[in-house]
Amino acid sequence: MILVALLLATQVVVQDPRLERLDPETRSSVVAIVDSARGMRLPSEPLVQRALEGATKGAGAPRIVAAVRRLATDLGTVRTALGEGASTPELEAAVAALRAGASTHVLTNLRTARRGPLTMALSVLADLVASGVPADSAAAAVLALAPNARDADLVDFRRAVERDISLGAPPGASAAVRALNTGVRDATATADGQPPPRPPRRP
Amino acid sequence: MFEHDDDIVERMIRQLRRPVSLDPGLAARVMGEIAAPAHPGKKRTWPWLAAAAAAVLGAVVIAHPWTRGSTTSTDAFQFVLMAPQAASVSLVGDFNDWDPARAPMQTAHGVWATVVPLAPGRYRYAFLVNGVEWRADPAAPNAIDDEFGTPSSVVTVAGRGS
Repeated sequence: MILVALLLATQVVVQDPRLERLDPETRSSVVAIVDSARGMRLPSEPLVQRALEGATKGAGAPRIVAAVRRLATDLGTVRTALGEGASTPELEAAVAALRAGASTHVLTNLRTARRGPLTMALSVLADLVASGVPADSAAAAVLALAPNARDADLVDFRRAVERDISLGAPPGASAAVRALNTGVRDATATADGQPPPRPPRRP
Repeated sequence: MFEHDDDIVERMIRQLRRPVSLDPGLAARVMGEIAAPAHPGKKRTWPWLAAAAAAVLGAVVIAHPWTRGSTTSTDAFQFVLMAPQAASVSLVGDFNDWDPARAPMQTAHGVWATVVPLAPGRYRYAFLVNGVEWRADPAAPNAIDDEFGTPSSVVTVAGRGS
């Protein structure tokens, strides 16, 4: 009876209603990739989202399937680099960093250098490259900041570099200089010790 | 003295060898008790049903990954796009299954805005203007791995206290 129940539950997975937005051909290929990834204990949600993104953007079946398959492969690669305990957000951010040009060696070093979640550090690395910072420079800067900087410090660092670039600074040089100047700030708190109310944040 | 002890042993052996008379229906009653459920139709069934229900519940919970962030704290994020000529703008991304119907934006004098609660993680998103035109968020980093020929942006939400 337990076996039957598990089989029924598996059927529920296959029938993820969100994937009904895909055409039948695309859906069957995506479901196969998702099932395979799940069998390797990789997160399936990023794969589903990538397929839905393709469907909403009107991409054809080959393009959607290729994107999902590539993402599954990259998730496996970064999971090997970060370890079995890596969270889904960490894996997604690591894929972005990998595609930005960071090596798996950098990912592993980052895991060693930083305690706690790596999501923000990896995202900042990827975002710096997207802003024009060479991948090696971005990796070196983030690795230098990783041991002590808070996530908020990393975001401030990224914004400072983006601002420098928009003002005409060389991206690599800006990242190097800003990394030297980024420190840990005191936690913001009001006089009564309570954190201030937070307005909606911006990306 | 030894003869006396021998008598005692001999009597014990005789007693032990004497056949014991049992109720002829005893064996049948014992076997009947063993075969019958303690509480017919109840105790034997419930453990299996409970185990099956737990298996289904556990498997379904594991199998529904789209509950990302539902058990973690969220931060409110405001998304803004200047589009004075637009008739409609939707915010679509990993946080709403890329479904334009789920996040229509409100406008005031051409400034389109909406607030979305986001759990910690990295999300890809884009604005869909007038239902046909894709735009990246000018205030956010671009997604570097756009594979569908349209621009996207990314937002990363840190965990609380990190």
